[in-house]
Amino acid sequence: MKKQFLIACMVLLSFTTIPFISQAQTIKISGEVSTPLTVDAAYLQKFTQTTVVRKDRDGKDHTYSGVILSEILKGAGVTLGPELKGENLTKYLLVEASDGYQVIFALAELDKSFTDRAIILADKVDGAPLATADGPYRIIVQDEKKPARCIKQVTAMQVHFVK
Amino acid sequence: MNHPKHNPLLNRLRKGRVMFLLLIFVIVSGWCYVDSSIETGPYNLVYPTNFGNRVNIPADNPTTKQGVYLGRMLFYETKLSSNNKLSCSSCHQQDKAFTDGRAFSPGVDGILTPRNSMSLVNLLWARKFFWDGRASGLEEQAMTPLTSPHEMGQSLTTSAQKLTQATNYPTLFKLVYGDEKITGDRIVKAISQFERTLISANSRYDQYLRGAYQPTPDELKGMELFNTMPHPEKGIRGANCSHCHGGPKTYMELFHNNGLDSLPKDSGMEILTRLPADRGRFKVPTLRNIAFTAPYMHDGRFKTLEEVVDHYSEHIEQSASLSSFLQGESNEPGGKSLKLLPVEKKQLIAFLNMLTDSAFITNPAFSDPHLLSTKNKKH
Repeated sequence: MKKQFLIACMVLLSFTTIPFISQAQTIKISGEVSTPLTVDAAYLQKFTQTTVVRKDRDGKDHTYSGVILSEILKGAGVTLGPELKGENLTKYLLVEASDGYQVIFALAELDKSFTDRAIILADKVDGAPLATADGPYRIIVQDEKKPARCIKQVTAMQVHFVK
Repeated sequence: MNHPKHNPLLNRLRKGRVMFLLLIFVIVSGWCYVDSSIETGPYNLVYPTNFGNRVNIPADNPTTKQGVYLGRMLFYETKLSSNNKLSCSSCHQQDKAFTDGRAFSPGVDGILTPRNSMSLVNLLWARKFFWDGRASGLEEQAMTPLTSPHEMGQSLTTSAQKLTQATNYPTLFKLVYGDEKITGDRIVKAISQFERTLISANSRYDQYLRGAYQPTPDELKGMELFNTMPHPEKGIRGANCSHCHGGPKTYMELFHNNGLDSLPKDSGMEILTRLPADRGRFKVPTLRNIAFTAPYMHDGRFKTLEEVVDHYSEHIEQSASLSSFLQGESNEPGGKSLKLLPVEKKQLIAFLNMLTDSAFITNPAFSDPHLLSTKNKKH
């Protein structure tokens, strides 16, 4: 009944044209984590900012700045660093965007003890906030040839074991 | 010798015995008919390997042959609407690839739905339903049109009561769920089971992918445009449709603002998320049987495929929430929309017609079972 009521409310909402209060995008971190997190702009400011230069579709270099992804994940208690061994190596990070697009990274791809390649959650490009259609948060993978995993408009990240 | 065949009494007795046995046979077979004609057991969902196995079947609703049988009966059941005139099939007609040919569909009260009726095909692989993706499963999705006052307009409790009073349904529910109890949950589960069997995998495109069809030159050129991102600086022409409609299923479960309006009347997913970036964002539907699912877009604004292609070619409306891949994607340097040539549009449409699966829209397993039994009764 509760579900039906909710659905009825949604249907009613879809008929209304009342301007509603806009919200800010956040990122939910869940799954195999000790502390599920909701990341927002203020939370990201607590971390050291890192920059990564990448060529964009325009063929020009752009400087993206943000936070090393593994640092954010450590805050959620993801098994990185010394804990990333044994069966934890069968874990992956699923990143989802607001358009439904999804990509995955093996945890080892994100860990400093495995690679120097930086993967950041960027919120700025060339010093300015990302464009609405790209941001507010985008993953930037340093030196990856194809941009397919530089996923835009990130909304959620989940850590899972391979089944 | 007194031959038995010349004995009239014995003959009559024999005839009587034959008649009696025949009568018993008719009664017994008639009695068994309901159960024996319905196959039971797990339903084998058959699909090509290139569709992948990322299917969406909830653990509490496995697909069974008897469940699919019941679901098909319910999909075409008008008792599920408050005026006994509408069924799921009113807005999802098989000959129109399970759409209804209208921009918006009238419900029991004559009021039109706010969005276009979506085609039902290859739902086995879908994880988010409706134009805004708000339902995470078919079971959840099915509840809305059944109960919405402007669609079928009847509570699931009333539907369950009406079916309980119908002659055939309690037996069918027993066959599927183990007892005759009819509930809303069991209704939507059976309908969902039937919907999961609506698999389309035999269009000319599927045949081409498995090496069984040689496309015409127009179809081939259209396919190339469909799959190519335009790079005017490098002299590469394309329409890049596959960015969102790619893969063998021509469905990728994405949600985009495709530049229909700069100030949309229906703001799509923004209504749910309240995020300005979701303004005018809607589900990217499958292109399977696209030639049969006019009119197009969430509001049915385009009547023909030509109008759809013209939109992407010439009329992309700019806004902050226009999906980034459509910003500045063009065959002309600095262009704001694709700018396809007339011949390219024709080739693209030739390819889109390759996605027609005639076997799907005429498959008797998906047709109205009530119509069949009425026809049989007439004979």
